[in-house]
Amino acid sequence: MKILNVYRSEPDETVKKLVEIVTRDREKDSFDLAVESPDYDALVDKIFAADQTICWW
Amino acid sequence: MAKSLGIFVTNPDNFAHVMGITKAAKAKGSKVKVFFTWTATHNAKDPAFPELCELADDVSICVDSYKKQGYDVEDIPQGLTSKEMATQAQHGIIIEDYDCYISL
Amino acid sequence: MEYKKCCFMYRHKDYAVDGMRSALGLAVENMYSYGVVMDVEMEKLDEHNLESLEMLRDMEGDIYSTIPANVEKNGLEPIDLEELGEKLRDMDIIVPYGLK
Repeated sequence: MKILNVYRSEPDETVKKLVEIVTRDREKDSFDLAVESPDYDALVDKIFAADQTICWW
Repeated sequence: MAKSLGIFVTNPDNFAHVMGITKAAKAKGSKVKVFFTWTATHNAKDPAFPELCELADDVSICVDSYKKQGYDVEDIPQGLTSKEMATQAQHGIIIEDYDCYISL
Repeated sequence: MEYKKCCFMYRHKDYAVDGMRSALGLAVENMYSYGVVMDVEMEKLDEHNLESLEMLRDMEGDIYSTIPANVEKNGLEPIDLEELGEKLRDMDIIVPYGLK
């Protein structure tokens, strides 16, 4: 199972902890949306390649 | 064939991301459905909202949320029809019928 | 038929009650649907929202909280961060809802 974690802001301790547990022993990838010009094309490729996408606050 | 993508929008500050992801997914030949709820229904008044409705295959909003945000349900946002002033069932459709899912 | 499992997380007071409504919406669509109120103390739920919570429970969903005051005041199920993380591993859909 491959999990994609997308971050809309810098992850705080709560989010870090949840990500750690959810992705334990699983394949993972991440994408930072909190940048000036996100590469949406790359994000969509990652969403299509993942089994589950979680877009954190 | 490209996978289909459902987008569930709960945060009104993410409209630029909704547009960006929808454009990118459509460019790959994907079928895209977007559903807005709660304060994100304010996005239906964004000047770019009609463009989103053109781009995506299906756009709808939670009519109950729209009303609670102070809008008149007869005031149908440009780009939508009355049947796209819908319920949370649209979220269910995204989950059941689309290959990929993202909440924003 | 396998039913989907969905979990919403709410970290902002103004989003918890409506987020519960979204959770109920998926339960009505034959999914196992859960919500978790984190970080914030909610107002006491009114009768209508308590009824929604009961409906959700009737459909095998539930609303949890990491905040003891919400458990006491609104009868939500207690959960801590570790338990929530483990629960999320079992979900098909995870929704960090609204604003932080």
